[in-house]
Amino acid sequence: MFIMRFTERPYVAYTESDVRSSFRNSVRLTFSNAHFDPQVGARVYDEAFEENQYAEEAGFDGIMLNEHHNTPTCMGATMNLEAAVLARITRKPKIVLLGNPLPIFDNPVRLAEELAEIDMMSHGRLVSGFVRGTGVESWATNTNPIHNRERFQEAHDLVIKAWTTPGPFRWEGKHYQFRVVNPFQVPMQKPHPPVWIPGVGSPETLVWSAQHRYPYIYLETDQESTLQMMNIYGHVARGLGYQAGPQHFGYLWRIHVQDTDEKASEVGRGFLIGNAGVGRVPMPVDFMAPPGYNLRGQLPKDVLELYKKPLRHDPLYGGVDAANWEQVTESNRVVVGSPKTVIRKIRQGLEMLRPGILGVWSNDGTIGHRDSMRCLQLMKEEVLPALREIGKELDLPGPFEAAP
Amino acid sequence: MTVEYETISVTAGGSRIEVLKGGRGRPLVALHSIEGNLGWLPCYQRLADRFTVYVPTHPGYAGSERPSCVESFIDLARFYPWILQELGIGRATLMGHFIGGWLAAEMAAMCPDAVEKLVLIDAAGIKPERGEIADIFLHGIEGTRELSFHDAQRSREYEAFFPPAKTPEQRELQNHNREATTRYCWKPYAHDPMLPLLLGRLDVPALIVWGREDRIVPLECADLFHAAIRNSRLAVIDGCGHLPQFERPQELDRILSDFLLRD
Repeated sequence: MFIMRFTERPYVAYTESDVRSSFRNSVRLTFSNAHFDPQVGARVYDEAFEENQYAEEAGFDGIMLNEHHNTPTCMGATMNLEAAVLARITRKPKIVLLGNPLPIFDNPVRLAEELAEIDMMSHGRLVSGFVRGTGVESWATNTNPIHNRERFQEAHDLVIKAWTTPGPFRWEGKHYQFRVVNPFQVPMQKPHPPVWIPGVGSPETLVWSAQHRYPYIYLETDQESTLQMMNIYGHVARGLGYQAGPQHFGYLWRIHVQDTDEKASEVGRGFLIGNAGVGRVPMPVDFMAPPGYNLRGQLPKDVLELYKKPLRHDPLYGGVDAANWEQVTESNRVVVGSPKTVIRKIRQGLEMLRPGILGVWSNDGTIGHRDSMRCLQLMKEEVLPALREIGKELDLPGPFEAAP
Repeated sequence: MTVEYETISVTAGGSRIEVLKGGRGRPLVALHSIEGNLGWLPCYQRLADRFTVYVPTHPGYAGSERPSCVESFIDLARFYPWILQELGIGRATLMGHFIGGWLAAEMAAMCPDAVEKLVLIDAAGIKPERGEIADIFLHGIEGTRELSFHDAQRSREYEAFFPPAKTPEQRELQNHNREATTRYCWKPYAHDPMLPLLLGRLDVPALIVWGREDRIVPLECADLFHAAIRNSRLAVIDGCGHLPQFERPQELDRILSDFLLRD
């Protein structure tokens, strides 16, 4: 099992009433950056880098980064810059970018260059994830959401070709046109860095990922719904003549450990601040999914039959007004506790979902740096060694143990 | 008032286009706005005893197919004359509200000989110099509805034609139409930098009607259209927002009659 550590690097120095004063009460997109203090921002980066350096020492196989725009919930607006720093301040762990939002790039060749440089600077440690971005990414970069999926696919094809086909070549696509594609820097890993696709389960992306044999990382989705979505991937894989296994699936999970259950519960509540859905105020739907963003593609009938929108209530969504900490923890959507407690709860989830990639979202929201470091220390001493054993016992190979 | 119209369809570029048609007389094409085709509005009925009124549903809006290469607003304007050709319309009066007005202006600028008269009602298409065209996407459907009226009390008739979505089917329909508007109008938002220049070649009589209190397209855009089209007249309706056809229908009818029925 491949275990990576994640945090959104949140900025939390604002109040709920600050958010409620923004256009359409939104914590993303329109929440004024007049509320941002770069001094605090600098500290957030310092702490995140320190935590990630320690994550290497703690034994994580990878460090996961993400990217969002116009939001305090994630300080990674240009994740590739952080990745370049990690390439130099860590030595072993994979740098897992989940992921670059392809549709918002007007120049995917430049992206191919940046990622190639990160791969070389890290001596072949890049895992290059690609995402469609939330709707806010489309808004923030003024990318027509109606073309989100088309641009995702075309930019992907262009990046992969730029990495794998000797240039120069010409690209005359629908959304991208280049006379001379010939980036001199190409990735160290051959044929190209591993591509993983993180998401929350739109069936079109599941089908596309299965078609490309790219591992799909479920981003902290409701676990029963996750099983259903895995079924879609597995179904498509069977149709293509391969069996999807743990190496094709990842699961990102909020997991926070402290010395005691009581302390962990007290500190872990910080998760409820900051991130979309659990943030202080619910987001306008059309900010997260502007018109066209969820344009339904042409799904085969058999896939449509497997796809049912999750019907059950997810306690993690609906903002601070709706989020119910007891439900959130009891349903295992967020795991907090002493090492013993979290190992037991993680085992349950691993048995159910059987992912070969586990993303440990160790801290977020108002969980402070000191508590985060203690959490990582307990991971090192107790949790990770136990998870290694469970991974072996349950036979959950990651994508570096069994080729996807 | 008896409502007499039929729903017909034509095929242009392999796409089936739905059209409402009613009345008798010279052709008048009414081009709908962001909501999609709202149906046979009272203002069309009132024109129907002097004109054959055509209300096509634009390609990609609910009811009409879209050729896959029709992507931008300019694409739409370039494609539209084919629809009119299939309808057997040679020369017509073009009338439109907001982006429908923008479409009428683009078509007139492209094919001036095909236009008898031009009516632009609170039209998009020209970038204001001082203010901004309100971002209907950012405001959302309900926010845009609120911005559209000077007097919210007068929105009842609009709601009859464009009800707040309550059922999944209504939501699906609104989303579909909103996606079409997004495709055509996202960027550059609701204007064409070249339009003021091209309107300079127009010689057809044009009427520019505006609600003085329009909070979607500022009144200065009415002046810009008026300045760009030499044979134009401007009528501003006091105490009226973005939707004169619903907020001040009688006033609008009077202005339209003045312009359209007097030769």
